[in-house]
Amino acid sequence: MKDLIDYIARSLVDDPTQVQVRQRGGRNNVDINLEVAKEDMGRVIGKRGRVANAMRMLLRVAAAREGKRANLEIVEPD
Amino acid sequence: MDEHRATLEKIAPSIEEAIAEGLEELGLTEDQVEIEVLDEGQTGLFGIGNRQARVRIAVKEEGADDEPQQRRRQPREASPLDDDVDNTLEIARATVAELLERMDINAEVDAHMGEADDDDRHEAPIIVDVNGSDLSILIGRRAETLNALQYITRLIVGKELGRSTHLIVDVEGYRMRRERSLRQMAQKMARQAVRSGRRQSLEPMSPAERRIIHIELRDNADVYTESEGEDPRRKVVIIPN
Repeated sequence: MKDLIDYIARSLVDDPTQVQVRQRGGRNNVDINLEVAKEDMGRVIGKRGRVANAMRMLLRVAAAREGKRANLEIVEPD
Repeated sequence: MDEHRATLEKIAPSIEEAIAEGLEELGLTEDQVEIEVLDEGQTGLFGIGNRQARVRIAVKEEGADDEPQQRRRQPREASPLDDDVDNTLEIARATVAELLERMDINAEVDAHMGEADDDDRHEAPIIVDVNGSDLSILIGRRAETLNALQYITRLIVGKELGRSTHLIVDVEGYRMRRERSLRQMAQKMARQAVRSGRRQSLEPMSPAERRIIHIELRDNADVYTESEGEDPRRKVVIIPN
């Protein structure tokens, strides 16, 4: 799951070195945090969240393969 | 030769099911047969007036004699653009394969160039075909998951090539089947509009699907088409001239 988001994010941003994906998980629910450079936020969110929503859709499939539900949060670096 | 062609008629609740059952019975794939929709069937309101779909499947001559499928491919003349095309196709194929691997989905991925639309709005699309068993999870309700996969793939390939691309991802021939049944439905409803002299409303469809209907009937002098309503309930109406 983490790998999927990591791959998509690195492929879409201008600065892949600042992509960080953290996965925290319980048995059934997994939280995935994606952090990218400020300038790249728009590339992983998209207009009206279209990119983020497409990533969530694919993440849902990956999670379902493990019998889980996943939640994707996109965060700005501090 | 024609009278030796094996044909089969199939009746099922939907065109897709009728075709699938027929192909299974014949042990053939879609590209080995010609399919004619004899009756689209109808889903009546609350199940009243339901009618089953009926298709006729004819085995193509190539399929009838055991000619290997590769022989049907015409050798292509090498052009300087070929390397570019091959490179683009490989990027598209690899991108979908990388995504699926990380989604833990086992499937075969191929890419080829499709044909350009005859409406000049689009260049020839890159078509990425995904095949395997049990891939309905990749299509999703109203193809939502498939569209997400296509969108993300388009973005990644576009970023890699430095330009936007017309790219279609298909799973198990879903889009091809859907497009064909939409075209057939368009023709049938157009005939019905002319016969009855009344406008015919189709079911709500996505913009891409509505476009297929508009293009299919664009050259039909007997009817014109319009879209009505708001997404996601927007639908095509076929109006007799």
